[in-house]
Amino acid sequence: MKNRLWTLYRTLLNNHYGFSAAKFYYIKKRQRTWEPLVIVAGLTPAVVMGIVFIWNLTEQLFIGGLAFGQPHLALLNGALLVSLAGLFFGFFSVLSAFYFSTDLEVLLPLPLKSWEILTAKFAVVLTGQYAINLLILLPLWLRYGLLAGVGLGYIVSAVVVFLALPVVPLVLASILAVLLMRLVNISRHKDRLALVGGFLLVIVLVGFQFWLQSSLGGDDPELVMEQLLGRADGIIKAAGRVFPPSVWAAQAMAYAHTWQGWLNLLYVAALSALALFLLYLLGEKVFLQGLLAGLEGSRGTGRARQVELAEERARAPLMTVASLEWKLFVRDPGFALNGLIGYVLLPAMALLPLFGQKLQNNPFELLALDQLHPLVVAGGLALYFLFMTGMSMIPATTFSREGRYLWIIRSLPLDIEQIIGAKVLGSQGVNTIGCLVGIIPVAYLMGWGVGEVVLGAVLGVLLASALAGFLVLFDLRKPMLDWVNPLKAVKSNLNALVGMILGLAFGFALGFLLYGNVQTGTLWLIPLELLAAALALGALVRVLIRRWAPQLWARI
Amino acid sequence: MLKLEGVTKRYKGASVNAVDNLHLEVRPGEIFGFLGPNGAGKTTTIKMVVGLLAADRGKIVVNGRDLAADPLGAKRSIGFVPDNPNLYPRLTGLEYLNLIGDVYGVDGATRKRRLDYYLQMFELTSAVGDLIQSYSRGMQQKLALTGALLHQPPLFILDEPMVGLDPRSAHLFKRVMQEHVNQGNTVFFSTHILEVAENLCHRVGIINKGQLIACGTMDELRQASGQAGSNLEKLFLELTDAGGIDEE
Repeated sequence: MKNRLWTLYRTLLNNHYGFSAAKFYYIKKRQRTWEPLVIVAGLTPAVVMGIVFIWNLTEQLFIGGLAFGQPHLALLNGALLVSLAGLFFGFFSVLSAFYFSTDLEVLLPLPLKSWEILTAKFAVVLTGQYAINLLILLPLWLRYGLLAGVGLGYIVSAVVVFLALPVVPLVLASILAVLLMRLVNISRHKDRLALVGGFLLVIVLVGFQFWLQSSLGGDDPELVMEQLLGRADGIIKAAGRVFPPSVWAAQAMAYAHTWQGWLNLLYVAALSALALFLLYLLGEKVFLQGLLAGLEGSRGTGRARQVELAEERARAPLMTVASLEWKLFVRDPGFALNGLIGYVLLPAMALLPLFGQKLQNNPFELLALDQLHPLVVAGGLALYFLFMTGMSMIPATTFSREGRYLWIIRSLPLDIEQIIGAKVLGSQGVNTIGCLVGIIPVAYLMGWGVGEVVLGAVLGVLLASALAGFLVLFDLRKPMLDWVNPLKAVKSNLNALVGMILGLAFGFALGFLLYGNVQTGTLWLIPLELLAAALALGALVRVLIRRWAPQLWARI
Repeated sequence: MLKLEGVTKRYKGASVNAVDNLHLEVRPGEIFGFLGPNGAGKTTTIKMVVGLLAADRGKIVVNGRDLAADPLGAKRSIGFVPDNPNLYPRLTGLEYLNLIGDVYGVDGATRKRRLDYYLQMFELTSAVGDLIQSYSRGMQQKLALTGALLHQPPLFILDEPMVGLDPRSAHLFKRVMQEHVNQGNTVFFSTHILEVAENLCHRVGIINKGQLIACGTMDELRQASGQAGSNLEKLFLELTDAGGIDEE
């Protein structure tokens, strides 16, 4: 049985991360060997910068914490960060791995117990989490260890904490995902419900965190700082409210040479073991029912379907393919949850401070967002459109998401320029509505005028469309078509990352320009500059599409 | 209707050509069966004809249009049903058909008339409003077939159309192919079911290891192999060098 679970885990891990495929292409066939080199070369600077940042921050936190008798502040922050990130991002990974991957149809008929499937899938997600945690925690723990002059007990504690720490958040994420799918799969409209339920859960998670944060010290930043650092046990209590195991983990490592440290280590290990047992129960009792209900196809009832067979008005291919792009994205919970969450999350995070606090102390007033010049507002809104088109991952993964269905569009008599145009149109439909949904309530609360919002939206659509054109072309260059789990096409896709980075980079570059306008008092230039940037980028993208797209399209 | 001249394709990293200098002509108004053992190059050839793969060498002409020079013109003449029709699972059947209708520019009245006809024939009328993910494989195949015929293509291409179909559906597929040819169009399909090819096709071509090793009517094949009275199965085994299995 042990071997069976191990084999299952190894197979799923291999499939999830494409180890066999990588070995086959890069080593056996010696094809595309430049790819890993480019990825390593691209990621190395970011990883090195991140490690240096963590290294320095640990040192500052150590010194700062020492003044308040809490040198292990850095340990606590690290544990808290990876735990909360694991809970938040783990929810999507778990949901996708458990319910939206097509390998379930292969696994279910095998003589495997449902807890074995659940455990193996959980272990795959956990492995990914370990890799991320290692990058964050290793430099942090190493720097702390050097500063504090730790001994062997610290190393033993570190190993146990490392193994146990991501278990509890991921089990919590699993419980949320399994319960959500159990409820959702009862319905015929499960995709829609999964989407809405996912959004609601995220908002609840964000709201919960916000509530914890505000309950630390209300709306008084000084009080928060005092609570965090001023009292000997302040930070411990504060963090304990958010996520108690992070406190135990930090104390286990900080006091590794004392019985108190060993006791905390025992807490961490015991809670993780308990969480794993819960996971086992979940696998036995709930997981399979939700899964089977999800895989059950709802057969056509034929009710009133003939009505839809009325004479259809023929639409232009551009509009048809654009609406196809829209429908396929929005209807797949795996895509939609990841791509659309930002449109909900960012405005939610912006609006949450307004609830339960005195309005005169809200962050908007601190930033004086309600007193900004209309042209600055318009410029800022335009940059939000630009930023979100990269963050949504819709244009940057458009061909990748087609996966095995790409044959349909490829065999149709459609020009690649027409297809790219349609995909930009479709993605910008989602982006425009998504951005406006977030902007309108904020604009209402800030008292921004219709004119500045419309101007910002128009400039934003132009800028975002130009960037989207580039991102679609970039995805055409090398789409990730070979996926079993739809989430892989968006989350494990380098093109999506490039899209986010470019959205961010363009946003920052133009934001810097706007800042210059504010400083020099040349606010009237803002719309002209943004329009010029959109037209220039659009023209460049058009040239690139004409030059490269037909070749890339033929090469797929 | 379809002409392949010296078409060659080698996959990246492969040591042999998947399709090797293939010359083939499918005449207007005929049903042409494309046969061959597994891995012979049938699907690769079909994928090149419908524009899913680019040929390394050679020329493909569809209804008088060079596929390389005028890919859209060539594609407009084709209706294609792949061996495993992966259709967008989160579209309804009707949404998929409207996508195809819009792209091929089929007007509303014609679209309705043809959909009424095919959906009724394939008993899909009551399911066409449901998501494709709820369809069985056979239903998906019939939906793909309906989509491929919506613009009444002069050249109808099917890759292994009979796989996974129940006898009634298989019968309907054959009927549709026959009807399509009766209307002056052409059908080109690959199959492993030699009986179907023998009974339905005006001519057959046999491909092995990427090369066309035989092409013609049944009588022409018998004559060429010197085996009067042989059925297609025997000829196929003989020509593809697999006759030895009978002796084992």
